[in-house]
Amino acid sequence: MTTVPPVRRPLARLVGDLLLPRLTAVALWAWVAFNLALVAWVGLQSLKSSGEVWLHPFALPASPAWENYDSAWQAGQFSAAALNSVVLTALGSFLIVAIAAPAAYALSRSSRRIAGPITGFFAMGLSIPLQTMAIPIVVAKLSVYTFMEDWVTGWWDNRITLLVFEVVLSLPFAVFVLTGYFRSLPKEVEEAAELDGAGPLTSFVRVIAPLARPGLTTVLVLNVIGLWNSTLLVLIITPLPEERTLPAALLNLYSTMQYSSDWGGLFAGIVILIYPMVILYIWLGRRVVEGMTAGIGK
Amino acid sequence: MAYGSLVAETALPSRDPYRGKVLRPARERAFWPFLLPALALYTLLFVLPSFYGVWVSLYRWAGPGAEMEWRGLRNYQALLRSDAFLQSFANTFLLAVAGGALVFGITFLSMMALRHLKGRAFIRSVVFLPMIISAIAVGAAVGFLLNPGGVVNQILGWAGIDGLPWLGPDLVFRCVIGGLVWSSTGFYIALMMSAVDGIPPHLYEDAVLGGATKWEQFRHITLPLTWDVFAVAAVLWVVNSLKVFEIVIAFTTGGTPGAPPLQARTVAVQQYTVITGGGVPELGSGAAMGVVVTLITIVLIVLVRRITRRESVELS
Repeated sequence: MTTVPPVRRPLARLVGDLLLPRLTAVALWAWVAFNLALVAWVGLQSLKSSGEVWLHPFALPASPAWENYDSAWQAGQFSAAALNSVVLTALGSFLIVAIAAPAAYALSRSSRRIAGPITGFFAMGLSIPLQTMAIPIVVAKLSVYTFMEDWVTGWWDNRITLLVFEVVLSLPFAVFVLTGYFRSLPKEVEEAAELDGAGPLTSFVRVIAPLARPGLTTVLVLNVIGLWNSTLLVLIITPLPEERTLPAALLNLYSTMQYSSDWGGLFAGIVILIYPMVILYIWLGRRVVEGMTAGIGK
Repeated sequence: MAYGSLVAETALPSRDPYRGKVLRPARERAFWPFLLPALALYTLLFVLPSFYGVWVSLYRWAGPGAEMEWRGLRNYQALLRSDAFLQSFANTFLLAVAGGALVFGITFLSMMALRHLKGRAFIRSVVFLPMIISAIAVGAAVGFLLNPGGVVNQILGWAGIDGLPWLGPDLVFRCVIGGLVWSSTGFYIALMMSAVDGIPPHLYEDAVLGGATKWEQFRHITLPLTWDVFAVAAVLWVVNSLKVFEIVIAFTTGGTPGAPPLQARTVAVQQYTVITGGGVPELGSGAAMGVVVTLITIVLIVLVRRITRRESVELS
């Protein structure tokens, strides 16, 4: 049972068996502590007066300064930004899944010869950097605005443009991951549903979507995180204060710190931006990690 | 399984025998209706605009409504002579190489240590945490710590070391690389560890009996067997490192409003500055940058794949 390996090569053993693994383990735990401490520290800082934030950055707040949230909400214009973020994130990630899932399903189940190349065509979008799209998006944004205002509706909201491009830019990843996921699902249930006379749409909505719920949830959550934190597109498409989302609002608040010194408000803004995602992660964490890595690993 | 496919085979031909030339299950008939919305949106608003970007890059153009002036390849030649672009390009390259070395160095060490560490699932998920947090928020919080009069310099001061201008032009890019490594390594650890989990344990047992150290087990078992996933991860890193944007903006906004200093610009930041910075927007030049980045992405992907191609081991 206990076959003790012969003690030879003491140096290799010291380095390879003790030093490297132990040091790495210690470093990993330190890293974990740092991450947890950072999240907690940001929360504590958001409850301090601006003076305390600077003078006692690691002390507990003397008395919770909830007015920081008030100031971020009002002066930092986080109220409008939060609404924009919630609507964009909810609507956008729903649309992404609603559009990508049927397509991925069709691709994964089809025996047509064209299905393979189309899957590859979607995968290609994964390696096109956003920079290639930046100028076309700027042009599209300006043209759509003028076109709609002059000819069609008489008004336009750049937030619609933002929503459309966020959805479109997220499609390749969603289709790619979901195609792989649908392939791993058994076909029997849907065949049974078809035998019962269910049409394609009915059997998709009633049978396949519930069956694929774990995969669909994963992609939904990933897109919620992606859209919530998305910044570059927001800065390009909707620069106006009332149109921007939380990351852009926080960036703006941060750049005024030199003059306003409302550090408590800044940390309140940080909390408003990151705590919803932290809570979502605590709730669905395992699934998020698995989903982010699953589509790529295999 | 067998029962299901039997039912399908025997039952399908008898179903609806009169309609259609080719008999297909319902899911096959729904192929185009299901696929078209995604395919149309993706083609019209993603793929075609990308080509449109190439076309714009051949002009001098201030935007819709302004005159387009044919420039041919001169936008590209101007880029190659522009110090700002070359600097941003060198920065991005440094970020990809130095950051990549750090990220995968840490990932490899973790793969070695995490295999039988207590609480490894917990470590994996907490190390992954920065990935879901907005880079802007991280920049603002960490920027507070790194400010000239900030906490880090105070602590250094107690230790008798002079404070450093961490977010000043000279050091900020190192902070950016550090921040990026901190925030993205967890993703690569999760990715590689999901591959490590698939390695049969008996291989390690044999190696332990043979007297292999943990490092040797990693070197001769774990790494060869996860090499394919590493190849994918390396490509992902390259693609992602070329788009680094938010964290630079976040780290450089704190002390100095306005455009980030040249020393800290990545290509994405440089492009953003060209499009949105004051004065006449240079859409042609910005588009040319996008095209250059795409070309470099392709070259780097091919290169990384070439480098990582060997050494893959199949378990029979």
